[in-house]
Amino acid sequence: MANPEEEEEEEKYESFLSRVRRTVYVDELTPHASKSVVESAFSQFGTVKDVIFLPNYLGPKELPTGVLVEMESEQTAKAVIETVSQFPFMVAGMPRPVRASAARPAMFSDRPKKPGRTIQFRWVDPSDAEFDKAQRVKRLVRKHTAEAAFMIKKQLEEAEELAKQQSETVTTHHKKFEMIDKLTHDRVAQELAGRYNIKCGPPHR
Amino acid sequence: MEAAAAVDEGLEFKWGKQKGIGGKKKDVRFYESFTFDGDEYRLYDCVLVADPSEPDSDELFVGKIIKIWEHTNKRAKHPRQVKLLWLFKPSEMPPGVVEGVPELLENELFLASGEGPGLASVNPLEAICGKCSVLCLSKDERNLQPTDEEIKSTDFVFRRAFDVGSCKVLDTIDDKISGVDVKFIFNRAGSTSKKEATPPVLKIQLDVNGSADSLTPNGLSACGSVRSTEDNSNEASDCRESSSGRREGKEKFADESSNKDSSVQQSTSEHASSEASGSRGDHYDGKAQDNEVRKQFTKQKSMPAEERDSNSCEASGSKKLFTKQNSMPAGERDSNGLDERPQKKQKLDGSAIVSNGRNTNILQQSVSSDGKRDTCLFKRPREKVTGGESPPENLKKKRDLGVSVSEGKDAKTGTGKGLFKKPSFDGKLSKRSEEKIVEIDYRRDYQVTEVTPKPDAVNSKWFRPLPWEESMREAEKEEKLVLLQNLDPTYTSEEVQDIVYSALNEQCTARMIERTSVSFSHIGEALVIFNSRQAAVRAIRRLDEGCLLLSNGRPLVAAFAKINPPGKPSSPFCGHIKLQKTQPRRETRDTVSTSRGSQPNTLEFEMGMEWRLLRARSDHALETVSKRQLEERKTQRINFKPKLP
Repeated sequence: MANPEEEEEEEKYESFLSRVRRTVYVDELTPHASKSVVESAFSQFGTVKDVIFLPNYLGPKELPTGVLVEMESEQTAKAVIETVSQFPFMVAGMPRPVRASAARPAMFSDRPKKPGRTIQFRWVDPSDAEFDKAQRVKRLVRKHTAEAAFMIKKQLEEAEELAKQQSETVTTHHKKFEMIDKLTHDRVAQELAGRYNIKCGPPHR
Repeated sequence: MEAAAAVDEGLEFKWGKQKGIGGKKKDVRFYESFTFDGDEYRLYDCVLVADPSEPDSDELFVGKIIKIWEHTNKRAKHPRQVKLLWLFKPSEMPPGVVEGVPELLENELFLASGEGPGLASVNPLEAICGKCSVLCLSKDERNLQPTDEEIKSTDFVFRRAFDVGSCKVLDTIDDKISGVDVKFIFNRAGSTSKKEATPPVLKIQLDVNGSADSLTPNGLSACGSVRSTEDNSNEASDCRESSSGRREGKEKFADESSNKDSSVQQSTSEHASSEASGSRGDHYDGKAQDNEVRKQFTKQKSMPAEERDSNSCEASGSKKLFTKQNSMPAGERDSNGLDERPQKKQKLDGSAIVSNGRNTNILQQSVSSDGKRDTCLFKRPREKVTGGESPPENLKKKRDLGVSVSEGKDAKTGTGKGLFKKPSFDGKLSKRSEEKIVEIDYRRDYQVTEVTPKPDAVNSKWFRPLPWEESMREAEKEEKLVLLQNLDPTYTSEEVQDIVYSALNEQCTARMIERTSVSFSHIGEALVIFNSRQAAVRAIRRLDEGCLLLSNGRPLVAAFAKINPPGKPSSPFCGHIKLQKTQPRRETRDTVSTSRGSQPNTLEFEMGMEWRLLRARSDHALETVSKRQLEERKTQRINFKPKLP
């Protein structure tokens, strides 16, 4: 009696696993991105079957979002991962590239249960030797969560720094460029070049 | 039969000496004694059976075994049955009778005698909740006078009889009651059993006024089930269950679980027991439904529809059959609600629902853990220990603590005390009960119980569940949202729900938080929405003070959850740069609207690489921390399997 149920469960799980294999987990995406943007971005690689956003309930708001992109086949998924890993692929904004990796079952919130697994539990008596250990483990877990939160914060801070730095660089470059552009445009540069007997750069516009 | 088989494996059962063969087709065997769940019961021993219509109450009825038999044909749902001669508690007597009784002792019972319904009834053997000691104080010379010590240490005493036909209290005991010679009724040498059950619990009165009243008159007046003739023939028919109806009015069914599609392990249960609830005794459908386990009880009280509300309720209509009582209907629901899980104590599950043949769904399944079982005070401590040894499934099946009933109520009540033995009358959790719950958790330490799938919430049948987001936000506002940590990351949301249900007896909806690269992969977390703030607070408290260990050696950690307010972050994504250009440049436009990989000869590329570098660094840092955390956890490995003392 259990068997047909079990089999069904296994089948479901198998099909779920194949879905997982087809899916790419994309990270470092801007939370502002919409589903269609992501879809069009990845449709360059092949048909995109589905796009699922991973909700961010507990982390800080600014954390980059993760997205599960389900492609047609496993190969397409693999191709996506490879390309994105080699070249910076930017979605909905530059220059921060997204990151792609293979999806894992734990990422799907609607996943079916792993078949054949039963969970058991027991309450631990305070007089039991294990009780203290269990309490310690609980404290440890809390500590780890705090550490994780801290790490995430750190990451965000570093990211911000880098972003600031980059934006400064770009702005400076841009200013320089603009300035030169303007000069050439106004023919100032050419005049100066003539005076100093130097060849002037870009051709006249 | 499966249920029977299950019971066999679970609670040990062994026949004692056989007494004879009978039955229409010679397929019934009579016995003198049997061993059930570690206790030996002999003919004329007194036992405790629970009240099927009051699953939450601790009130147990006392009966004297006067016949034990087993059908050998496979057809019978309850092959093993006992006939019990009742000993009434004052609370079970019709109103007005007990007041006229002089010198009523605290633990005095009245022996049923005479002819009529309510004298004795047939019950499945599995309905027995335990043994008890009953001493006869009658000054009759045939009665072996008990010593003072014995009187002090016995569970109950009796010296008067109650004639069920005339509804009067008699001071003398007849020579033959229900076919049983009086010498077996008086104290016999060596017949007193040590009681293991704790009597005080029995004194719990039914809280519901209605029920108390309804119990007595109804029960006695109309019991359909009385079986005065103990013939094999009667027994051979399947009605047995019905006969039990001492109280017919209510049909009980503890198991009614409402919707259980899932769970199911119960195969049999589905059939609604048609137990004819006693009331007229004529309906025997003979379906005992046991929902797997259970104990079927003689007294069937139909559970007011409330139980069923969860159930699809079609059944409720049926149930009502006879009842009368439905005194309970709404009232009970609430009062019963308190108890929801009390079933644990008695395995009322079996109860038949009387639906005339309608099938009610059943049983819920398995209720969770045996742990619940433990709370039943009647259970001997031994049981707890064996829990660890015997295969969890069986345990779970066997002691299906009425959880089924609770399911129905779950939706409504947040009071999941489940473990709680004394339902407060008004349903409010008293402080004591909270403490008790935590204590009880500890007592279950050697129980290794399996997590059983929780029964579907009542809600799902009645209205579509809200999408998770909304319900989560709402829950946070009402402080019903709890974050459970230290789960195995591969668990699914349903498993989390099952765990919460089985271990904490609370219905909930849960969602595993997906593991992404920024969160540590070895800590699984889930957001759980409880039905009420109280339930959430309770759960957190229990998980904090006690330790709930899962099979992978992880104790659960719970705390109130704080989640991000909805909406996108206000600031633009860090790392995305928008340049102000005087002249719109094609590249810029493109960049924003499309996504593409950049070529190595552009500035973007360089910046992009910088980002990747940064990411690589942080990943590395995360990994180191993660490794260290794993190490720390390894050193704190906990043994899941309990070490027996």
